[in-house]
Amino acid sequence: MAHDWQPDFEKLVDEHQSMVYSLGLRMTGDRGLAEEIAQDVFLELDRHLGKIESSSHACFWLRRVTMSRSADALRRRKVRQMDLWVEIEEGHGIHAEERISPLGARLEQLLATLPESQRAALVLRYQEDLTPEEIAATLEAPVATVKSNLQRGLKLLRTKAEMHLKEYIRGV
Amino acid sequence: MGFDSEEDFELELHQAFERQPAPPGLKHRLMEKRQACRSRQSFVLWQRLAASLVLAAMLGGAVEWRRQEERRKGEAARQQVLTALRITGHALDRMNRQLAEHDRANQE
Repeated sequence: MAHDWQPDFEKLVDEHQSMVYSLGLRMTGDRGLAEEIAQDVFLELDRHLGKIESSSHACFWLRRVTMSRSADALRRRKVRQMDLWVEIEEGHGIHAEERISPLGARLEQLLATLPESQRAALVLRYQEDLTPEEIAATLEAPVATVKSNLQRGLKLLRTKAEMHLKEYIRGV
Repeated sequence: MGFDSEEDFELELHQAFERQPAPPGLKHRLMEKRQACRSRQSFVLWQRLAASLVLAAMLGGAVEWRRQEERRKGEAARQQVLTALRITGHALDRMNRQLAEHDRANQE
């Protein structure tokens, strides 16, 4: 079949900017960094536009490059757990008042405290609804590793969330 | 105290991790950056083209100079050979005249 689909850069930006931005934000916990990542990713897309074969390929490519750039940004920043908590508490990250559910806001904040590999797996699973196999392809990791990260990440996040709920109720 | 089930917790996660809208103006800033990148690339391309032309002209000039130089050296060598032949010719003429005079003297 003839290659009918032609990539339109502006349309791709319109369609995927919130996905790219959200992935960057949840991986780094920093709005400014997330926007930088989004810009870098789309500029790289512009350079590789000729190699994009379809709409789904564009989506896959954007996810993969965004996750890779986010990991690079984290490595460059060399964020330690305590520094990240300070940033979150000082409101550089996701703002609680913008969320509908206080628990939801707290879950986002707790996500940022997980190890990077677990965070990546959970974000792709629960933000993007990807299967473990799709996550593995995006992160270029073995499926078994992804499943392990999902399981451990979910368990750790749930434990932290339940501890938070207990403290919240005790406080009230 | 906690979530009733794994499913409840996963539902909370799905809701909590909905995509956030991109900040206002992100697309506009991105398009401006893209335009700036393209202008820079175009400028670099013209610069490279100009540099290539200058290099080609310099190489061409060097080749032509070498050719002229070779021709000049060849001409100089030719002149030297001709001079040597003329000198030899003069010397042979003088020798012939001396021999002729000697022969005339002997006959007398």
